[in-house]
Amino acid sequence: MSAPSRMLGAAIGAALALSLSGCGSSAPEGTDQVKLTLWHNSADPAPLLEMYKKFEKQSGHRIELVSIPSDGFEDTTQTKWATGERPDILEYHATVSGLLALNPAQNLRDLTGEGYIARSGDLYQNAGAVNGKVYAAITGFPQVFGLYYNKKVFTSAGLTPPTNFAELSAACPKLKAAGVTPVFESGGSIWPVQILPILYLAGANQSNAYGKAISGHTSTLADPGSPFVAGLTAYAKLKADGCFNKDIVTAKFEDSMKALVTGKAAMVAQHSDMLPALLAAAGGDQKTVDDSVGFVGLSSDKPLVTYAPGPIGTFYLPKTGDAAREKAALDFVRFMTGPAYNEYITASKTFPVFKDVPNPQGVSSVLQDVKKAYDTGAVIAFNSDIPGMGGLAQLMSELIAGQKDPQKAATQLQGQVEQAAKAAGLPGW
Amino acid sequence: MVMRNRAAWLPWALPAIVLVTVFFVAPFLLNVRFAFSSWTSFRAEITWNGLENVRTLIDQDLLANAVTVTVLYAILCMAIQNTVSLSLALALQRTNRLNTIFRSAFFLPTLISPLAAGYIWRGLLAPDGAVNSFLGIEWAWLGEPSTALVTVAFIDAWKWSGLITLVYIAGLNSIPKSLLESATVDGAGPWTRFRRVVFPMLAPALTFNVAVTLVGALSAYDVIAATTGGGPGDHTRALNVVMRQQWGQGFFGSASALGFTVTLLVIATAVPLVWWLRRREVTG
Repeated sequence: MSAPSRMLGAAIGAALALSLSGCGSSAPEGTDQVKLTLWHNSADPAPLLEMYKKFEKQSGHRIELVSIPSDGFEDTTQTKWATGERPDILEYHATVSGLLALNPAQNLRDLTGEGYIARSGDLYQNAGAVNGKVYAAITGFPQVFGLYYNKKVFTSAGLTPPTNFAELSAACPKLKAAGVTPVFESGGSIWPVQILPILYLAGANQSNAYGKAISGHTSTLADPGSPFVAGLTAYAKLKADGCFNKDIVTAKFEDSMKALVTGKAAMVAQHSDMLPALLAAAGGDQKTVDDSVGFVGLSSDKPLVTYAPGPIGTFYLPKTGDAAREKAALDFVRFMTGPAYNEYITASKTFPVFKDVPNPQGVSSVLQDVKKAYDTGAVIAFNSDIPGMGGLAQLMSELIAGQKDPQKAATQLQGQVEQAAKAAGLPGW
Repeated sequence: MVMRNRAAWLPWALPAIVLVTVFFVAPFLLNVRFAFSSWTSFRAEITWNGLENVRTLIDQDLLANAVTVTVLYAILCMAIQNTVSLSLALALQRTNRLNTIFRSAFFLPTLISPLAAGYIWRGLLAPDGAVNSFLGIEWAWLGEPSTALVTVAFIDAWKWSGLITLVYIAGLNSIPKSLLESATVDGAGPWTRFRRVVFPMLAPALTFNVAVTLVGALSAYDVIAATTGGGPGDHTRALNVVMRQQWGQGFFGSASALGFTVTLLVIATAVPLVWWLRRREVTG
């Protein structure tokens, strides 16, 4: 062997020795450093992304983030999931319908008995659990659906924000007369257009009564005069009355946030996890958002917000068969729900889901509005427990295009629910 | 003699036969059974369920519309691309510096990702986008049922016409000059030369281009997904778009049935078409 070759060999040997010894990592002694794959929503806020880094620093494990675009998040996750690929940690919806689509008994680790569950009140009564087994670790406050409104627009029009559909209908012509789009809908992003009908149904879904009736097959979406058909009919009337923006079919949800902040639109039906997008639409200026935007609950007949446990900060541990990685993934859940959670709440300025963690200081006024509306009256989204509701957004597109009437859309969606409920083996189907 | 000839070509054809078998035939045969299965994300068991998936897709008003949209879209794409490309090829046939620049410019979109192309055009064609500003009108090209499908077909044509043009230019350049000169001497004008000499001699290029554009458009997904997502309503909801939606909802058996439908559609339209065009090459 020549001298250069010997030197090269020594260099490679040294590099190998260094890498094998884990030089440079901060893994606690006796812990194997592993790489964890985390499929996460691209809309994860900065404080949550910071928590992932903090876990890496504390544990010595490495997290490889696989970003799933928030537009089409469910489709993309399901597509990846269907290939048999499994991350070590999955950030996904905590709704029962979302969970059923993951076939939890087969694919997810049972987290029942973990300490955070007892600290979460009755959160897991309606979310993250199937057949008495808890699969989710929910760290984010539920997505709270309601009506964002532009305060200045309402003040100058001499109106108060509507809290039921009759008031919403009545406000439309007055706002139009003031030269403002009453409600901005973003059909180009597809999913936002299903929010208003879901809000309508909050009145009929107190204690999740309507959702249980549909998932238990004691009622159907297409029953004559059903709340669902009534919700779609109310939506169609708003459209016929010209309450929506002209570019409803092509507008994206980012456009709706911008229209709301700038006062071109008076209202947008959205959820609380979209606050970062609202802030972005205001150029990152929180004061502009606080000065111009408020939030109220809305349903068919009373001021109710609709909530659904969201994907942001909801973690599952898929079965991977790798003991070291499964242990590290469980450590991640314990880290996120442990003492570090206080730091996350402080940094994110969002409300905690654990009873023993205090509310943060300096919460934006819009989020305070959200919390106030939530505390006043909150109803879980009627579709949270119903599998097969993923086609609602597409049917709304057809309703908007005038291709389907409410009754026909309800009948078609009921067929999809039946298809999924039978596949999931739900009792009563 | 025949046996000897077969023995002679077999070693040369073998790599292609192996590749097609491993990467196309075998996956297709292994996957086709899922179209007739109860495969969903909701449970692990996959059982044979016959034509249940097709029945479900028909009951939910999804299949007939998707087939109609797909066939219409394919015809539009094929017609627009071949008309535009043949015109471009005739204009850019001669090799000189200016034509080389134009050929490169028209070929550039072929190199762009279809999704990126879709997103760019969605921005340009938005009601307040650059196209409407230029035309001085306000029209939701991708949001109006009357224009959405045609507009997406034009975007697809913009994306692929450069490639189709090159095939036509190669075809044009393979026509013997003596043939055209003889026709000119016989008194044929430009239109007669094109109709009676050039177009028939372009038959192999036409066969290739028509088949490629038609089959490509029958399996369209990316440009539609990036521009309209299947809307407005279901006006651009082609088979592969519905397949993705079914897949996204965890109905993998129904999604596989839609994939199988695309395959059947390609076989049912492309094979007779190519057979007819090839026959035209021989007799024409």
